[in-house]
Amino acid sequence: MEIMTSNTETIPGFSITKSLGVATGSTVRAKHIGKDILAGLKNIVGGELKAYTELLMEARTEALGRMMMDAAQRGANAVVNVRFATSSVAGGAAELFAYGTAVVIQQE
Amino acid sequence: MYDLTAETIGLLIIYAIIAIFILFFPLAFIYSMLFGWIHQSRRQKKLLAREQKVAGIVGGDNIHTLSNPINLEHISQCGLVMTNITVSPSWWQLFIGGLKSIFGGQIQSYDKVLAYGRGEAMQRLREQALGEGWSEVINVRVETSMVMNKVRGGNQNKLGTLEFVAYGTGIR
Repeated sequence: MEIMTSNTETIPGFSITKSLGVATGSTVRAKHIGKDILAGLKNIVGGELKAYTELLMEARTEALGRMMMDAAQRGANAVVNVRFATSSVAGGAAELFAYGTAVVIQQE
Repeated sequence: MYDLTAETIGLLIIYAIIAIFILFFPLAFIYSMLFGWIHQSRRQKKLLAREQKVAGIVGGDNIHTLSNPINLEHISQCGLVMTNITVSPSWWQLFIGGLKSIFGGQIQSYDKVLAYGRGEAMQRLREQALGEGWSEVINVRVETSMVMNKVRGGNQNKLGTLEFVAYGTGIR
């Protein structure tokens, strides 16, 4: 069964029948040193730095996936009010954290 | 006449490495001054063309910041859609921005980079929503953060690298 995710408090057209607590997922990623040097060279002309874009997107997708697994283990079929938080860990690693409320929803 | 012994060859290599290190920064700076704006204006033009293309397909805009749908009446499915981009000003723009920040006022060189980054993040959201088959994206939020603080830890955002994240709830 697919879990629906939303960053709104309620999903229009659905009613929440049960709340199952906060579902969380997090991942810690470190950069690749070669890509870091290449991004530094790209910095000369400015514009997009693809290495960082991909790194952060992968990490976010991973965190979101773990949050959805957590929600599935609680027996939820949706996660509402999803939010992201980031923090830096010493030694060149970044933590990306996704959390939301695991709920059971029903179509009205 | 010189005779090329191993010692002189070794010295030449060391001199060459030192010359590369001394010349790299000025050359990179001149390259940034001459070609930075060409790269950036080309990307800006591409972005404009893509925005018009999506507007032509959808007939308006398919993302908005309201928490209720505007056009769609019956929702059968929803899911989070998110896109991101990291941008940085060129060395030349950083230099000009640094000079201008002595006197204050509007700094156009940073302005352009930020406007491009945010526009691109939102445009990618539109394209991803189209690609994944969402008919509308509601409750769109755009966030800005400094990448180097995340990737390297601490306060190391000297080169002005920024990340823009655009996310919302796709519905169909």
